[in-house]
Amino acid sequence: MNITVNGSQHVHQGNGSLAELLKELNARPDLVAIVVNGRMVLKSERVSVRLRDGDQVEILTFIGGG
Amino acid sequence: MKTESKLTLGGVEFESRLLMGTGKFASSETMTRAIEAAGAQLVTVALRRFNPGQPSDDLLGPLRNLKITLAPNTSGARNADEAVRAAMLCRELSGSRFVKVEIHPNPHHLMPDPIETYAASKTLVKEGFIVLPYMPADPVLAKRLEDVGCAAVMPLGSAIGTGHGLATAEMLRLIIEGSSVPVIVDAGLRAPSEAAAAMEMGCGAVLVNSAIAAARDPVAMAAAFAAAVKAGYAARGAGLMSRSAEAVATSPLTSFLT
Repeated sequence: MNITVNGSQHVHQGNGSLAELLKELNARPDLVAIVVNGRMVLKSERVSVRLRDGDQVEILTFIGGG
Repeated sequence: MKTESKLTLGGVEFESRLLMGTGKFASSETMTRAIEAAGAQLVTVALRRFNPGQPSDDLLGPLRNLKITLAPNTSGARNADEAVRAAMLCRELSGSRFVKVEIHPNPHHLMPDPIETYAASKTLVKEGFIVLPYMPADPVLAKRLEDVGCAAVMPLGSAIGTGHGLATAEMLRLIIEGSSVPVIVDAGLRAPSEAAAAMEMGCGAVLVNSAIAAARDPVAMAAAFAAAVKAGYAARGAGLMSRSAEAVATSPLTSFLT
């Protein structure tokens, strides 16, 4: 399915679960926060989310900052 | 004036009065060693989009091995709504109730937007955050931020990353005089002597990033800042002598050679 991840087009090969998307992107689940279509997905809600074609996904992490 | 030995922010106590930022370090190893040398217990981080091209670019991992509390900032937010959204994501990611509200829409001077900072801080206090607002050195705004429940106020010494020290000293004095919450000088410090001066003025803590990260030897500079903050705080507690317009002799002036 075609989704947008952090502003770029991404072809997702899996079943639409966030766990599979993170694996695809080499992102460690405990080090990222996820927003789907403008809504923050709590860690406890991740398993119940199924991505759909056209979804906008933002994946965020911490970097150094003052 | 407060002279408790511990820094209390939102009911959480810290031994160290040196807060540290994690930006600009050449490597995460230098950063972690500098945090240890500083003895910093409250450390800021920033939120950014994950970059699939650099999956190993992991900041949280090394920080989790240290005994520190994270205070993620909302840098990148241009208004209160964005800052609140960023803060929610930060809390989800860090598990920390601390947030440094940082809203500076103009990249040339990075001055904090007082109106958006106030609005975001007010909302985030209600949402249960321990709010540390980065703010212009304005005593009126400081009072307003304290009134809405901020755990501290964080006026700038000078613009972020400039190293111009305590350019706002006179305003900082007014903020310290009028505040019941800790005043934390954030931004602009370059030398440990400036951190000591801020503590002597009565600041509760200082937040340092560039001065440590951009030093030739960041780990040694972190230790120097830690010593300066301790010295300045101890001096404040000891009570500085009053100034005199005229010389006051420390030795007897009576003549004994004639």
